[in-house]
Amino acid sequence: MPALNRRLTLAAVAAAVLVVGTVVKAQSAAPPDLTGSWERYRGPAGDPTNPPPESQPPLKADLLAEWQARRAAEREADARGEPIASNYTHCIPDGVPSMMSGPFPFEIVQSTTQINIAQEAYSQVRRIYLSKPQLTLDDIELGFYGRSVGEWHGDTLVVDTIGIKDYVRFRDVPHTPEMRITERFRLVRPDILWDEITIEDPAVLEKPWTVTFAYRRMPDYEIIEYVCEDNREYADDDGVTRLRLLEGSEGP
Amino acid sequence: MARTIKLVAASLLLAIGLPVAAHHSFAIFDHTQTYTLKGTVRSFQWTNPHGYIDLEVADGPPGIERYTVELTSINMLRRAGWKSSDVHEGDEVTAIVAPLLNGQHGGLLLELKVPDGRTLVPPVPAINTFKRTP
Repeated sequence: MPALNRRLTLAAVAAAVLVVGTVVKAQSAAPPDLTGSWERYRGPAGDPTNPPPESQPPLKADLLAEWQARRAAEREADARGEPIASNYTHCIPDGVPSMMSGPFPFEIVQSTTQINIAQEAYSQVRRIYLSKPQLTLDDIELGFYGRSVGEWHGDTLVVDTIGIKDYVRFRDVPHTPEMRITERFRLVRPDILWDEITIEDPAVLEKPWTVTFAYRRMPDYEIIEYVCEDNREYADDDGVTRLRLLEGSEGP
Repeated sequence: MARTIKLVAASLLLAIGLPVAAHHSFAIFDHTQTYTLKGTVRSFQWTNPHGYIDLEVADGPPGIERYTVELTSINMLRRAGWKSSDVHEGDEVTAIVAPLLNGQHGGLLLELKVPDGRTLVPPVPAINTFKRTP
């Protein structure tokens, strides 16, 4: 029996060492600090930090045909010099996730309980709560940025976003209120950040759609304010982008 | 040096490509010809999403007396080294523009020579796709 007791004691000590070791390791592995300014980046060909090329949305067949027809119509309108007016024409911001696609820089401010991402264009701000549970759609008003919660999985920040309104579209892809966006932020090099964005919306997508953007750190860059103050480009009655001319320069 | 910074900024935007194109279409402007307009600045509007110069034209294509010159976002201009003080009302300038395709008297600024002798280049994405003509 003494021998058994000794073995049990040794086992208990070993288990305790393991537990303490895990706790210490968890405490020492602080998440990376993403605070600072970032901009879209693509390295030279073959650079391993270049994310995979953007894929076509895996829309259901009828929706894919409609989406492709809209894209073709946009290209034809551009070729005619009569681009179809977009949300930008009306000073309407991107929202999530388009605001992560550039070309303007954004700033991350990180604390232990919250991460804010401020996109320079249109001064857009999204807030990611790290110590709150996600709500249900019943408790959220649909909007441009939805509601985001996040948690660190090792060195990867996993962010869950719901509550994006209908006409806030990424790459003009339609979605339902049930769309769920999961983002995985991680440093692939000390100054190169990836945001792997996965969109799930079974009513419109055949399968989850993943797009990854890479950014590089801008060490000394301070975000500049951006107010869509006076856009002289406007949509005419046919939805075509036009330029409002100064008095006296209307021409023929 | 300042000019180098502008060119670097423009080439970076060019390299990224897709998101720039996705953000704003420049399709209302003619990519096959440019106008060179000499004249007097009536106003310089430092705003987003675009800056604007109201130009009283002294020397340019026949029939053009006033011209609405669109610039890129002022944030992009700032990053390329521009300041709101680079252009003033009353300045005699020479602007190279890509004209509106519909023939109206407005266009996109591709290059601006200001009175102190500097030539300012706005960071228009894919600026090299606008063919220069005399």
